Amino acid sequence: MFIKRLPRFEYHVSTSLSDALRLLAEYGENARVFAGGTDLLVSMKKRETLPKHLINLKGIADLKGIYDDEEKGIRIGALTTLEEIEHSRMIREKFGALWDAVSVMASPQVRSLGTIGGNLCSAVPSADTAPPLIALGASVKMVGGHGERSVAVENFFKGPKESILQKNEILTQVLIPKPLEKSSGAYLKLMRSNATDLALVGVAAYLRLDPKKRVCSEARIALGAVAPTPIRAMEAEKVLINKKIGEELAEEAGSAASTVCHPISDIRSSLEYRCSMVEVLTKRAVMETFRRIA
Amino acid sequence: MRREEIALKVNGINYRVSIEPWRTLLEVLRETLGLTGTKKSCNEGECGACTVMMDGKAVASCLVLAVDAQEKEILTIEGLAEGEKLHPIQEAFLKHGGIQCGFCTPGMVMSAKALLDENPQPTTAEIRKAISGNLCRCTGYQHIVDSIMAASGMMNSKA
Amino acid sequence: MEEYSVVGKSVERTDGRVKVTGKAKYAGDLVAPGMLHAKLLRSPLAHAKILSIDVSRAEALPGVMAIITGRDFPGIPYGTRPDTRDQLPMPITKVHHFGEGVAAVAAVDEDTAEEALDLITVDYEELPVVLTAEDALKPDAPPVNEFSKSNIAYSSNFLFGDVEKGFKEADYIREETFSSQRVTVGFIEPHACLAEVDPTGRVLLQGSKQSPYITWRHMCRGMEIPLSGMRIVNPFVGGGFSGKHDPFDVDFAAVKLAQRTGRPVKIVLNNDEVLAAYRQRNAMDARLKIGVKKNGSITALKAECILEGGPICGIGPFNIYYFGAFLNIPYKIPAIEYHGKLVYSNRAPCGTVRGQEIVLAQFALDSLIHMVAEDLRVDQVEIRHINAVTDNWRTANGMMVDVSGLQECIQRSAEKIGWKESRKGRPKGRGIGFSCASHPSGPRLGGHFGSSVMLKLVEDGKVIVTHGGTEIGQGANTVFCQMAAEVLGLPFEDMIQGVSDSDTTIFDSGMFGDRCTYWDGNATIAAANDLKRQLAVIAAKELQASPEDLEFKNRRIFLKGKPEKGIDFLLAVRRAYYERGEPLYGKGYWAATDIDIVDWKTGKGNLAHGLDFIATGIEVEVDRETGKVKLIKGVHGDDAGQPINPLMLEGQVNGGSAHMTGHALTEESLYDEKGRALNYTWRDYKQPTSMDVPEYRVEHVHTHDPYGPFGAKGAGEASSCSTLAAIANGVYDAVGVRIKDLPITPEKILKALREKEAK
Repeated sequence: MFIKRLPRFEYHVSTSLSDALRLLAEYGENARVFAGGTDLLVSMKKRETLPKHLINLKGIADLKGIYDDEEKGIRIGALTTLEEIEHSRMIREKFGALWDAVSVMASPQVRSLGTIGGNLCSAVPSADTAPPLIALGASVKMVGGHGERSVAVENFFKGPKESILQKNEILTQVLIPKPLEKSSGAYLKLMRSNATDLALVGVAAYLRLDPKKRVCSEARIALGAVAPTPIRAMEAEKVLINKKIGEELAEEAGSAASTVCHPISDIRSSLEYRCSMVEVLTKRAVMETFRRIA
Repeated sequence: MRREEIALKVNGINYRVSIEPWRTLLEVLRETLGLTGTKKSCNEGECGACTVMMDGKAVASCLVLAVDAQEKEILTIEGLAEGEKLHPIQEAFLKHGGIQCGFCTPGMVMSAKALLDENPQPTTAEIRKAISGNLCRCTGYQHIVDSIMAASGMMNSKA
Repeated sequence: MEEYSVVGKSVERTDGRVKVTGKAKYAGDLVAPGMLHAKLLRSPLAHAKILSIDVSRAEALPGVMAIITGRDFPGIPYGTRPDTRDQLPMPITKVHHFGEGVAAVAAVDEDTAEEALDLITVDYEELPVVLTAEDALKPDAPPVNEFSKSNIAYSSNFLFGDVEKGFKEADYIREETFSSQRVTVGFIEPHACLAEVDPTGRVLLQGSKQSPYITWRHMCRGMEIPLSGMRIVNPFVGGGFSGKHDPFDVDFAAVKLAQRTGRPVKIVLNNDEVLAAYRQRNAMDARLKIGVKKNGSITALKAECILEGGPICGIGPFNIYYFGAFLNIPYKIPAIEYHGKLVYSNRAPCGTVRGQEIVLAQFALDSLIHMVAEDLRVDQVEIRHINAVTDNWRTANGMMVDVSGLQECIQRSAEKIGWKESRKGRPKGRGIGFSCASHPSGPRLGGHFGSSVMLKLVEDGKVIVTHGGTEIGQGANTVFCQMAAEVLGLPFEDMIQGVSDSDTTIFDSGMFGDRCTYWDGNATIAAANDLKRQLAVIAAKELQASPEDLEFKNRRIFLKGKPEKGIDFLLAVRRAYYERGEPLYGKGYWAATDIDIVDWKTGKGNLAHGLDFIATGIEVEVDRETGKVKLIKGVHGDDAGQPINPLMLEGQVNGGSAHMTGHALTEESLYDEKGRALNYTWRDYKQPTSMDVPEYRVEHVHTHDPYGPFGAKGAGEASSCSTLAAIANGVYDAVGVRIKDLPITPEKILKALREKEAK
């Protein structure tokens, strides 16, 4: 019912990925990995999660760093903190939608601890990094006992707090493809207060324009907090493809997006409001993205 | 489930303490090291009262395991002044009404320091963003923003 | 206007340095040798009989030293008034609200205490839940409080002036309903208490308590401790806002466990416990009917109000009276009829919050004034000028306005917010809302209501100031030092803030109702004058003059107008101590008996001196698509008489207003249909952050209150009272929708906009 002091656990520090995987395999159900701990520790204080073993991943070099590959795009280590992403000028310039998200997540003193890997693995419907990464066509790399695998972020989530990450796997990297010409993205987050709040609705947009016709050649719209998982709004994307972007079209896209969301009513907001706001935020995210390309 | 002996460097002083791994940095600062300047309130990272600096960044110490704070430079409110000489941020808070009940003050000052270390001449919007994770019920934030702005002025005129 | 040396200056707070260095100790920071830690087990149900509590497994846990429940207390109910004693230290026969503490465990450390809670078994029998005022008033409603047969806890009814005539004379009448939600107080420091019992059995309590007197008398009664058997020493308090007056289970349990174990016991709550189970503001439903002339001047007002207060009366009887009483101010209302009811429920117990019920009354009244001004096509600022009370105005219910700077407050805030310019044209979606308010400087209540201050003059010429109040952040300590320094002609640095210890200071009745500057301030002046008299006698001898002919200034005592004919202040001090063996301490008290102890049931009487006035203008911007409200600028024209410390005064005005922006827009304490709290962490109870509040500006309107210390009035609570209506009116001015049920959420705005467009 109420927040308590942390429960007991055994603490392990991993210095390598294989070491962490070994510990995970050994302790199975009784172990949890952690990075920033900003979700896990709170969950433990509430006695929602009671792992007997905690495996600290922060010593693992393989999980750190932001690498810019001219050809492939960027690789962001799972341990990269939200604050590090916020301070990356490169990410702000090239992957604006992701930058938008981290700059409105939690608070400064939590962003310095929370990681991109942790945010994705929490798999909460309102995870702010998810819609931008989906819109940017990002994928995640996971390493387990059986080797490596990659999956698009839009296929990473299964349900509220559930992802496809297996118990013996660790998410290691986020890969975002190289940004193409005449493309940009944006993420808008609706909250109750203007800071330090979860998303009532989150919308990310990615557009690419055909340089000759100023017509939209690619569009990806992703929604957060309005379904059991972050989702793509393909209906909205279809509205935009091969058309000239403008207010009216953006509104249409918004309408379409609101038909694919299926939020709940909870203490934060009502279902009806969330659906209406999907419309509004989608329109605005599309227009903002368009403005950024120009 | 045993205690670990760990080394913590807090306010420039090296400590050796024996604590359980499930102790947060906040708890060890307050209960083991007797540094009660850093405050505990919500214990879930929502209020900022527990803000300290760790390796130059503002962090919510209620969300940091003490064992995980080893080999880091930790700065708490008690480490800001040099003897009787207050840090300019502290002077500014005193001069511009940034303190009322004082409970949010340590966390607020640490967030201010983290901001000014990185951005010595912030705008008021940047100040408000930097302290957006520190709840205050007394002041309405106006004097706190004024204080941080004044501190930035003081620190830059000395440079 | 008189020129003062210390009063009127924005001197540095006496406690600023210790707070900004992290050295100030709050209750949770205190340690005592051999201290035990205690935790409270809380009810998961809102209304249930306690059939049995089995603590045997918990007692067997190594490290557990004692466990208590409600049955360990004498079962004597206490309450704010002799006729409203309906509270027990901890519940005995039944629990009344979600999270009510049913047992307390003291153990050698916190982890053990927490573990022990899980080993206590409580057998409950669920009872039907009363959630709202409507539920409470149903004929078959279950009784909430075992000490009262009715769910109507208190009522207030008054009729002043000829209301019928007033409505007949009106050119225009409008009637509206308003409602306001449950909100929590929201201080950042959770409740905490360290209790010890000395070998003679005397209790020492060091807790986060706002008004030691209230804590003390209730605890002594509830625990059958003689008044002289309890000593309270105040640590620093991390915000009160009227949420920390009463003793709670935290305090009772700490004392009882300390008595039981013979060791100091500390209890520190986590903030979610505070949000779930401790003081909130009453939910309100009100109906107001106003009659006005064509020019907007008010001829009559009829009001009904129901306050839903949780399972205790607490200060509720005062709240229900206050709501009606303060409809009489700050506007001239010749006739008023009021019916108020306080009802019980199974939600968290209510006290009052910053601004008290005036916050709610003013929300209703000033929203209604705006509506009426619009209907009559009278300018919003003009209608307030027309109705604003002036000097020497006596309200219908007998309250006396000695000095009112309200006209100037209105004029200056309208000017600074750019009212005239905004009428000529403003960006779409932007608007400005006004409200005025008034708050008295401390009411006269029954019982122990005075304030007293003690000044000890130390042999080195410094003065130690102790008072019976509490520094909760409002700056009490500082202003008293300023006042004492001014009277004694000493610099501010010569004043030392002493500790508030009930063994050596006399309690005042509490830090509420804006009484501190006024009542304790006057007591400070009395104490300083007492000290001055003693010193004057000594100096007079030295100077061969008459004590009445002496002046105190700049650490000197001299013949009036002849500073060279004098002696050093320090010399007089030394003469006393070292030559006459005469200690120097000044004592003074202030207890205004020329104001009335008002009967809260009928409301007649002059309750307080020092009505302070405020006129607030807030500029808002409403996003028509999302319904979100942005607060751009807030200007307060504030008449607090003579500001003692202008910077601190501004801080109070800003803070009160910012606090209420949360109440206006984002805060609500939610419950499910079984009365269980839903959003009791700051993750989902959204208090304003630095990015949610507007830029504030305060315009000081100097007046001189005839009874106030140096002409000052209390200043802490007026802006809380004017903010709700200012925001509601601003939203209306921005997008033309009127929200009368708080909070003004984006969803409500969008719904109202849709309905408006449909017409």
